[in-house]
Amino acid sequence: MKKRTLQRGLSGFWWLTLVFLYLPLAVVVFFSFNAANSAARFTGFSLRWYERLLGNEQIISAFWNSLVLAIVSSVIALAIGCLIGYGMYRHRHRKLGWLIVLIYLPIVLPDIVFGISEMAFFVSVHRHTGLLQPGLLTMIISHVTFQIPFVALIVYSRLVGLDPTLFEAAKDLYATPVKRAWHFLLPTIKPALISAFFLSFTLSIDDFVISFFTSGPESATLPIYIWGAIKKGVTPEINAIAALMIGAVALAAMLSLLFNRQGQR
Amino acid sequence: MFSDSTTTRMGESCMSDSASAAKVETPSPASRRADDVGETSERTRREPSSIELKGLHKRFGRDTVALDDVDLTIEAGEFFTLLGPSGCGKTTLLRILAGLEEPDDGRLLIGGEDITDIPPHRRSVNTVFQSYALFPHLSVRDNLAFGLRMRGESAAERRRKVDEVAEFIQLGSLVERRVDQLSGGQRQRIALARALICEPNVLLLDEPLSALDAGLRGQLQVELQRIQKRLGMTFVFVTHDQDEAMVMSDRIAVLDAGIIQQVGTPNEVYEHPRNAFVARFMGHDNLFAIHASQEDWVDTELGRLRLDPAEQRQEQEGWLLVRPETLELNADLSEDYNRLEGQVRERLYRGSRVEYRLEVNGVTVMATASNVGQRLHNVGDKVAVGVHPEDLVRVAS
Repeated sequence: MKKRTLQRGLSGFWWLTLVFLYLPLAVVVFFSFNAANSAARFTGFSLRWYERLLGNEQIISAFWNSLVLAIVSSVIALAIGCLIGYGMYRHRHRKLGWLIVLIYLPIVLPDIVFGISEMAFFVSVHRHTGLLQPGLLTMIISHVTFQIPFVALIVYSRLVGLDPTLFEAAKDLYATPVKRAWHFLLPTIKPALISAFFLSFTLSIDDFVISFFTSGPESATLPIYIWGAIKKGVTPEINAIAALMIGAVALAAMLSLLFNRQGQR
Repeated sequence: MFSDSTTTRMGESCMSDSASAAKVETPSPASRRADDVGETSERTRREPSSIELKGLHKRFGRDTVALDDVDLTIEAGEFFTLLGPSGCGKTTLLRILAGLEEPDDGRLLIGGEDITDIPPHRRSVNTVFQSYALFPHLSVRDNLAFGLRMRGESAAERRRKVDEVAEFIQLGSLVERRVDQLSGGQRQRIALARALICEPNVLLLDEPLSALDAGLRGQLQVELQRIQKRLGMTFVFVTHDQDEAMVMSDRIAVLDAGIIQQVGTPNEVYEHPRNAFVARFMGHDNLFAIHASQEDWVDTELGRLRLDPAEQRQEQEGWLLVRPETLELNADLSEDYNRLEGQVRERLYRGSRVEYRLEVNGVTVMATASNVGQRLHNVGDKVAVGVHPEDLVRVAS
């Protein structure tokens, strides 16, 4: 009897958690279809805010910036993180192997500290050399920096889960180092790479703090645009952008999870 | 090579390929081997190869000696087994043959050619791994064809060889499956086929049967031996199971602490172990310390026993080996036999044979009798124990 009560209590807690997690999102999505210009009263279904979005050049430009930033930084982070993950795996038995945890620093560091230091760095480089003017390039660099540890970790954990004799079997079966990478290593970790790409993609799309500190006047992304816009109050237009971003991020996260699960099998 | 109908065809293609290769390239085997792309005919097996190990040393870290000055010759076409407990160096030796480990010192020759410094992907040696190491991202067919593909053989050639080898190991129906749909025994055979299909000069097998249950293991032992005889390939087999080694091998090398203790045929190693380690490892419990000895007798804990003078060894010290199955209990024996008195302490009924733990002169002696038409001895029975001098073997310590 007591056990039943406990179980009910826990399940109630679970539902409560879900409510706090998803209800605010649901409200945003719901009001993005509001016919009236209000975040309190729903007067009817309408797609007018979505139409307004398409007409707003600032939003379109922010959207493209976000997309370019996310894709370019994810691709670069994938290439570098994959190499680091493989290197961590290859040298996991080394004495100073634990030093590799240093690359996890960006994960534990507060975004604001990370963002401010990146900004200070780029500004001083720019002052001395004229290179790295704040803009899309500096944003890509800083995004790559915080994406790499995630990619490396995913690749590493996939490799550690493999039978180490597979590497030897590939050598034994006449595969040269290049052929080993191409015909064995890459196909084997492919699900992990796809998963890591989508995770990096969502991290980049989501990021506001680091982007905010490293962006230039022309390179506002959607989160930065939203930040600027809500100073004037939350409009249904913002709700519509938010709804679209929720959809995109949820999709990317699900793809990441899907491919990761496939890889674990 | 896997079926009679294709033997001649493959033989011809091998010969013509190697002949044309020899025209273009310099005939030196070393320089031809150096190029690993395109030269598929180079590694195609023609004759089984012998293996020579000269003064091999291998150490891990500062203190662990894996191999200590190993000299060994394995004949071409032989089923050779490296036998020993875990950590004896047998797997290290196999890995050096495969090229997956480099010796600290010493040379390795296969087919008379020094391949010590040749990387594994350029050695005509293939391995069946203990964990099978089938590629999870590939189908069974692609796993089988992997080696051929890496050597640059054409798709048509790969397809033909895969079908041929699948038929040879009687797993034709599994070829299109995924690896994770196979049972342990099937994986084992696919791993074997994946190595055989490359027709290496030497096939290495690293405890390939240890993960299988006893019934399947026995069946595959016979099958492996049959395959080896049929292909005439040089097999180097690693195991810690002395029964498995004896059933399958032409010759066995017993290793301990990185040193080869004895090399010989199964019956040499079993019946005439060179030292106490080999004797114990081959499953012999009846070893008795020799206190004193002469030409034709020894004094042991059991008492004075007559020996066959032909069995004479130079060592004065050491052990006397009395194999349990050579002891005769309560039998009508001729004058030649050594006779002792014993008492049954324990009886283990094994069906086809019966094992007795006897006490003879205060010492425990194991005796095995085949279970044919004779009365079983009961615990507590006094028995006359007889052993023929020719069955007694002196073993160094």
